Amino acid sequence: MSSKNHHHPKPCSHLASYRSAHAPNPFRSLQSCLHIRPPGHASLRHDPSEIPNCAVCSSTSPRLYACLACATVSCWAPSLPHHAAAHASSLPSGHEIAIDIHRAELFCCACGDQVYDCDFDAVVVLSQTAAAYGSQQAALPENLRKRRKVNYQPWAPDSREQALIGRGSSLLREDSLPRGLRGLNNLGNTCFMNSVLQALLHTPPLRNYFLSDRHNRYACQQKNGRKGSGNDGKNLPPRLCLACDMDVIFSAVFSGDRTPYSPAKFLYSWWQHAANLASYEQQDAHEFFISVLDGIHEKVEQDQCKLQNQGNGDRCIAHRVFSGTLRSDLTCTVCGFTSTTYDPCVDISLDLEPSQGTLKTTSTRSHACNGETESVMSSQGCGISTLMGCLDRFTRPEKLGSDQKFLCKHCRVEQETLKQMSIRKLPLVSCFHIKRFEHSSTRNMTRKVDRYLQFPFSLDMSPYLSSSILRSRFGNRIFAFDGEESDTTTEPSSQFELFAVVTHTGQADMHPDTDIWKHDGNWRKVKRRCN
Amino acid sequence: MRASINRPPTPDADEDPQQELTLQEIINIKLIESGEKEKLKELLRERLIECGWRDEMKALCRAFTRKKGRNNVTVDDLVHVITPKGRASVPDSVKAELLQRIRAFLVSAAI
Repeated sequence: MSSKNHHHPKPCSHLASYRSAHAPNPFRSLQSCLHIRPPGHASLRHDPSEIPNCAVCSSTSPRLYACLACATVSCWAPSLPHHAAAHASSLPSGHEIAIDIHRAELFCCACGDQVYDCDFDAVVVLSQTAAAYGSQQAALPENLRKRRKVNYQPWAPDSREQALIGRGSSLLREDSLPRGLRGLNNLGNTCFMNSVLQALLHTPPLRNYFLSDRHNRYACQQKNGRKGSGNDGKNLPPRLCLACDMDVIFSAVFSGDRTPYSPAKFLYSWWQHAANLASYEQQDAHEFFISVLDGIHEKVEQDQCKLQNQGNGDRCIAHRVFSGTLRSDLTCTVCGFTSTTYDPCVDISLDLEPSQGTLKTTSTRSHACNGETESVMSSQGCGISTLMGCLDRFTRPEKLGSDQKFLCKHCRVEQETLKQMSIRKLPLVSCFHIKRFEHSSTRNMTRKVDRYLQFPFSLDMSPYLSSSILRSRFGNRIFAFDGEESDTTTEPSSQFELFAVVTHTGQADMHPDTDIWKHDGNWRKVKRRCN
Repeated sequence: MRASINRPPTPDADEDPQQELTLQEIINIKLIESGEKEKLKELLRERLIECGWRDEMKALCRAFTRKKGRNNVTVDDLVHVITPKGRASVPDSVKAELLQRIRAFLVSAAI
């Protein structure tokens, strides 16, 4: 059973006896009685003109429960007498279990508390998914079906490679500073490049890939292909390979040499790749990051025979490390029909929360990472933005404006829709981009949003996964099955450790100038100066 | 499970023909019949989620349940504890918006 967070509560004696009395499908018949309001709230169906009220006192305000055995509606007032309990005790046994009319939850009138049952929740979920996806079975969208799993496999040298390493290498001189710590020279407003490069240099999977010679710049097909054709006498311009240039930088930075290094060749190659960004002007670090990943991906893929769908990048290290999948659900607010698309992504762009911010209290989960439990206490209106808050905002269902109506396949008309994002597959390394630049179209200027953002050392991404989001959309029902998300047992953990932060101090036109990253367990801050 | 679940039981016709209905009840019935109550509930739900009220209440419930122990808490306990705090912490803007909607409805329904 893949559910980590759900401990199925034991049924009370009344529920147990009800189940055995109506076995094998105690709640099957309820399916026709449920009414699902988009975006998934279940309730008991009733004729719109008839108003449910208590059989005894005709009141409608407290919670109303309908007995499962005889369909009598009784109320459960905050204060005694509880008519529902009276109903249960007055009749011979079998009338204790009732269902909340407005919420579709089981209630035991004798015990006076809600009870939970897998089969009942399965019936509710069935109704909800039927409402959301129409009558046909939800087929996986096109761009997901053909997709192969992009898995990162850590590499270890085999015996032949061990021998080679022993013969062909010499130990570096050990000094007090950790390995790989080397400054990068500013080549003219290239702080954006240097800060992202430093972060990439210390990304463990990427570092391991290049240092273990997975991409050999001497044997690179990308460039060698050109060398072979030089015999024809044609003068081809040298083909560039960003991955080779990265390899050069990795070798240089981890060589033990502590003098500052100038990544000039890399800069030149990158200019050729991203011609529109080639200048000595300041660029955006995030744009650079995307462009570099794209460059590495493109160049590595060109020597493959088969080109796969965009973002599959089976052999490309950039995608194996950074690529994840986002899921976007558009729900029609009228009929509840949901259309789902999956998009690959290499990073997640988050909006900063508004300042009268919502605060979350992260509950201590049973599998806290490294024995630490996080609890950020909430105080009303205190408004410190946190990374979790931004992620909550990212995955919150958002009602699209009435000027953005979508065509609902079910209703065949343009309806108002609810949009919700979630993460279908987590990347090995998650990169979060916080959108701090606000462009005001009225004043035609870009303003930097300078609010403090709090971020944790460890982050549990499981509440933002599609499986969790779906579960909460359906009202926290017990899932006896996980449907198409059933391979959660083989998924890697959703606990993340922070290892690098690229920050930007100053106004909108200034340079990103501070890098904070983790090295061998210690944090190093590198401040950049631009001359 | 009989199909009569779809219909609430018919109230006895000879008791209390018309006189017991207070103004509040009449308004309530009118709201439900026209479907406006459903829309107002949805609007309220949306606003309270947006402003973080629901998450705060969830946090309070969790804290209370943790203190009392998971097996010693009933729905009634939670409702009893949460209700005063919940009522007090609804933002004024939400209250104002809903009142405005209800007023508009009353005007249009010409009660």
